[in-house]
Amino acid sequence: MTERSVPRSVEATTAASAARIARERVARPNGWWGMAVFVAAEATLFGTIFGAYFYLRFHDLHWPPPGVEEPKVVAPLILTGVLVLTSVPVQLALFSARRARLGAARLALIVALVVQAGYFAMQIHLYLDDLHHFSPQGSAYGSIYFTMLGAHQAHVLVGILLDLWLLVRLASGLTTYRLTALQATTFYWHFVNVLAVLVVAAQLSPRL
Amino acid sequence: MAVDVLTPRARSRVDRLERIWAEPPGIVGWLTTVDHKRIALLYFFTTLAFFGAGGVEALLIRTQLAGPNGKTLSPETYNQVMTMHGVTMIFLFIIPMTIGAFGNYLVPLMIGARDMAFPRMNALSYWLFLASGLFIYVGLFIGQGPNAGWFDYVPLALKRYDPGMGIDFYALGLILNGLSSTAGATNFIATIFKGRAPGMSLNRMPLFCFAMLAVSFALIFALPALTIDCVFLELQRRVGFHFFDVAHGGDPILWQHLFWIFGHPEVYIIVLPAFGIATSIIPTFAKRKMVAFPLVALAELLVAFIGFGVWAHHMFATGLPTTTLIFFAAASMMVVIPSTIQVFAWTLTVIMGRAEFRAPLLFIGGFITFFVIGGLSGIMFAAIPFDQATTDTYFVVAHFHFIIFGAAVFPVLGGMYYWFPKVTGRLYHEGLAKASFWLTFLGTSLTFFPMHIVGLLGMTRRVYTYPSNLGWEAYNLSETVGAFILAAGLVLILVNLVHSRFRGPPAGPDPFYGGTLEWTTSSPPPEYNFPVIPTVTSAYPNWDREDREADRRRLDQGLLVLDRGHETPASTVRDGILDEILDMPSGSPWPIVLAVSVSLVFVMLLTTHYLLAAAFVGLTTVSLAAWHWQEPQER
Repeated sequence: MTERSVPRSVEATTAASAARIARERVARPNGWWGMAVFVAAEATLFGTIFGAYFYLRFHDLHWPPPGVEEPKVVAPLILTGVLVLTSVPVQLALFSARRARLGAARLALIVALVVQAGYFAMQIHLYLDDLHHFSPQGSAYGSIYFTMLGAHQAHVLVGILLDLWLLVRLASGLTTYRLTALQATTFYWHFVNVLAVLVVAAQLSPRL
Repeated sequence: MAVDVLTPRARSRVDRLERIWAEPPGIVGWLTTVDHKRIALLYFFTTLAFFGAGGVEALLIRTQLAGPNGKTLSPETYNQVMTMHGVTMIFLFIIPMTIGAFGNYLVPLMIGARDMAFPRMNALSYWLFLASGLFIYVGLFIGQGPNAGWFDYVPLALKRYDPGMGIDFYALGLILNGLSSTAGATNFIATIFKGRAPGMSLNRMPLFCFAMLAVSFALIFALPALTIDCVFLELQRRVGFHFFDVAHGGDPILWQHLFWIFGHPEVYIIVLPAFGIATSIIPTFAKRKMVAFPLVALAELLVAFIGFGVWAHHMFATGLPTTTLIFFAAASMMVVIPSTIQVFAWTLTVIMGRAEFRAPLLFIGGFITFFVIGGLSGIMFAAIPFDQATTDTYFVVAHFHFIIFGAAVFPVLGGMYYWFPKVTGRLYHEGLAKASFWLTFLGTSLTFFPMHIVGLLGMTRRVYTYPSNLGWEAYNLSETVGAFILAAGLVLILVNLVHSRFRGPPAGPDPFYGGTLEWTTSSPPPEYNFPVIPTVTSAYPNWDREDREADRRRLDQGLLVLDRGHETPASTVRDGILDEILDMPSGSPWPIVLAVSVSLVFVMLLTTHYLLAAAFVGLTTVSLAAWHWQEPQER
């Protein structure tokens, strides 16, 4: 095995050669591994939050406590469904970029971004609405409820920022660096979408 | 390969690598460096300074407790000094020393890479670590140090009982420290998975790297629990949330669960790199490969894994249900299996080889001794009734100091001697080194062994003084004398190394005839580590003379020299087959800018300037974008 038979990132000068390098490598790039490990840490973080949620729940007689209404069901479920669907355009963007179809990749990313931003705006609206009805300072239920949802929305916001950054960078062409960034961002969004399902399940669990 | 005799063609290639990998000279070079060796040295000197601070705190504690009714420290100061001793030694010394300094310096060299997978993130984790250390110490210097013990139990740590800022320094400082460790661990996993030299399949990877891999995974899965715990604590202390108070539906035991879900894996995070150092030193001086190499590799991973299933044995006295206790007692017993595999492998390698007891191997001998003593007292705690009787006594203090000092720090001291010639290019003084071993060995035994007895006599931990009629005086005095002997031994090591750094005889590339790849390059290694990326066919590549000759010929032919930029190879994850040649980033100012910005977020949170904190979050985002703006290929 010599260096002549493997792709070399100094040679990636055009979109086509960057896409070729991404297709020729056998293992996943360093950036993907970095994101995978980061996601593992984030998953553990949310695992801890879910653990704390149910720990507190099973130590309390009333969950939610008297005076706090049970969580609304319809709006969070619909929103979560919409967010999960954005995994499709995000994956499409990566698919197109790997074939050096830059225009298609940008379009898919814009579609995803619009839907995700809409989701985020609606979630913030619901969050503020909840704050009018009960407070995180009132009970352990309120504390863990708002912490959990806040943590999740922070992750959605980070994903939106990643999308924006990618769009700005892809405007001036494709490099192996950007392609790996897109691959990592795709991974991140799939994770956030799975997380959305788990968060909404925990959020609605008092209804069960 | 050491660059000694070179043909003109090879010489020109080496010169070219020198030019490509050169970093700016002076202070700017250090502030913007992404060279894993320089970052490791930054880690080394910083953690050494914190070790000094933690050591002074230990001596203050021992001076206070030397005799009954001690008056050296007030109770308030004692609480801060005692807490800071624990926090410093664990978060600011041993973990960053083993992972940040030893791991950073050695892992890329051992796997035949030219740098870590994410060189700039490597710099970021150092600057964040430095910031977290300074952050926590500012608390101590303004008299508001953390004061609720290193595990900071609520309700004592709640605002009502601890109204100062000490706990806030602790919680925010540890979150910041956790960011640094998470970045570091991510980097190690990606580096070890992807950066190995061609031919280094996982089964040919040095055991030190297996230990670092196990530690990194343990950090990734353990730290979030501590982070969330500290976030909960700050939300409760600052904003009035309720996680830990029963009156509003919270539960103080939640803190303990989350803390120990982190805290027990943490113990293995502390000792695993020490195991890795031991498995590097032993084969070199026993002059044979490690006995049961695959079993030792698996045992290292298994220790890290089982470490996640035993946390409640720290909580046997909190009134958990009996079934829970029995489960965790059984799980704790299981740790014996991988630990024993390793102890036998170490000792058998020494016995079956032709052991040469130079200073590094002596320290490993001390390590094995202390690990067995501390391990045996550890098994006792898995027995629930014994644990409940001795909880919070000095018996526990004795046990974990045998592990955390004896078993974790001794290999670090041995490792300092062992790799000193590699890092400095000079030899240490062997006679002084042996003397320093016996001094630290005596000091450690004298300090920590009597704690077993005084613990069984009923002395509880964390007390700032004790009355005179309890029969504890002789033991405590011996502990204090031992602590000062130990300190003298450590100072002797420092004197030896500092003197040898300037006056020691030249070491050459491979003074001990070690087996792993770091010994194939010159001492100190050049910026690019290896003029030719080595090709590996066994777990001890430096003992494969023909392979190294082949590397030398490749330099002549210009194969695997990778001199078209900051190039390093990337391999497939399991088999280590050359897969890609990467162009890596060079020195960058953004890691330190980002670290400053993130630290300012925490300073603003501490001083309750929440709007400014949000502004610095914004600045952090902007610096991140700037960081990624210039891509390696655009140079």
